[in-house]
Amino acid sequence: MLLQTDVAVQVAEASQGGMKALAAAIAVGSTGIATGIAETAIGSAAVGATAENKDVFGLVLLLTVIPETIVIFGLVVALLMLF
Amino acid sequence: MPEVRSGGPVPYVYVCTRMRYRKSKLIPKEDYYRMLNMSIPEITRIIEETQYKKEIDELSPFFHGADLLEHALSWNLAKEFQNVQQITPGVLKSFVRSYLRKWDIQNVLGILRGKAQGMKQGKIREVLVPAGELDRIFLDRLLKEDSPERILEALRGKSVYPVIAAGYAAALEKESFSDIENELYKDYYLDLLAVAGGGLKGGKQFLEFIVLDIDIMNIRNIFRLRRERLHQDARALMIPGGSFAPDEFQDLIDLEDDREFIDALKKKIKVRLKPLLLLLDEMGAGKSIREIEIDLIRIQLGQMELLTKLKPFSIHPILTYLEKKKYEIFNLRALARGKEAELPTDRIRGYLVI
Repeated sequence: MLLQTDVAVQVAEASQGGMKALAAAIAVGSTGIATGIAETAIGSAAVGATAENKDVFGLVLLLTVIPETIVIFGLVVALLMLF
Repeated sequence: MPEVRSGGPVPYVYVCTRMRYRKSKLIPKEDYYRMLNMSIPEITRIIEETQYKKEIDELSPFFHGADLLEHALSWNLAKEFQNVQQITPGVLKSFVRSYLRKWDIQNVLGILRGKAQGMKQGKIREVLVPAGELDRIFLDRLLKEDSPERILEALRGKSVYPVIAAGYAAALEKESFSDIENELYKDYYLDLLAVAGGGLKGGKQFLEFIVLDIDIMNIRNIFRLRRERLHQDARALMIPGGSFAPDEFQDLIDLEDDREFIDALKKKIKVRLKPLLLLLDEMGAGKSIREIEIDLIRIQLGQMELLTKLKPFSIHPILTYLEKKKYEIFNLRALARGKEAELPTDRIRGYLVI
């Protein structure tokens, strides 16, 4: 009876760990995709603006990486879940 | 340059950003007012500081005064339009290419008319803007041809050939190319409508632009024909594809009373052309046909700007830029030629589309 309870606890713990890993993967993966979508339009506009005026490169680079914050949020959430 | 093939908004965003930037670099209204009080060398110096520097530097050893400006502006316009064609990716390129065919019509007719009047090659070359399918080398070849038959033969295989070939003998006999010109423009707009309705992505927006262009052109023709009071069947002069049916077009021209005409035209105009309704209300002020035409161009540009704002990533920003660039060149030419002819400032201002 004691052995059976131990096994059940171990299974529950392993399952909990797996779910955490899965949640972390979803958090990073979905925010990565969202960042990619957001950067598509900004990136193409940035390339267009830089092609016309090279001086704006620094500014448009900054604007292009702003959506990176979304994936950083996802990463932070994932790390909080895992550790 | 390799053609960018991509679904989604990427090509639209890229090219529309570039066009918006270029549009912001066009000469502002205030500069035209300043230039009105300047001499030709001063105007040349001012525009040399803008995007025309390269052309003015290249051509300054060969021309001066208004001729230098005229040549530099034509070169710049052709270069700019060809560059826009090159940088426009995907389906947008086919829209831009078909739109720029208008310049082929203008160039070929310029050569045919110039040759018929016995003008010198250099003088005809001044008015050519090789921005369409026919490049500078081809147009130079046409200019070198002496006989009308050889010019026609050289055009074989080009998009303008079938229409010109059909009416060429009659035009030479009548010594007027106006019928060919009408047919070429009708064919051009039919081709544009076919491209817009061809199922390409963004075709709907392109269609909006073409219908606006056709409507404005037909309204302008109605004003011109009414002013001339020719009382002939003008249905053949109407460009099909816009808001007017041929009979409505004819009825508007035939109306004797100006008030009745304005009321009838108002009923035909769609709500989105609100500025045109305002213009029609002012018609009692006795405007000349030139003033009306300039007002119509302003209305068209205003509407195009509105469409650009409504659909920022479509064909509209590209076409709006191309049209605005065209009128910048027209304005600078008007300034240069007006100054050369020593016209009063107010008169020159009347020719500017600002």
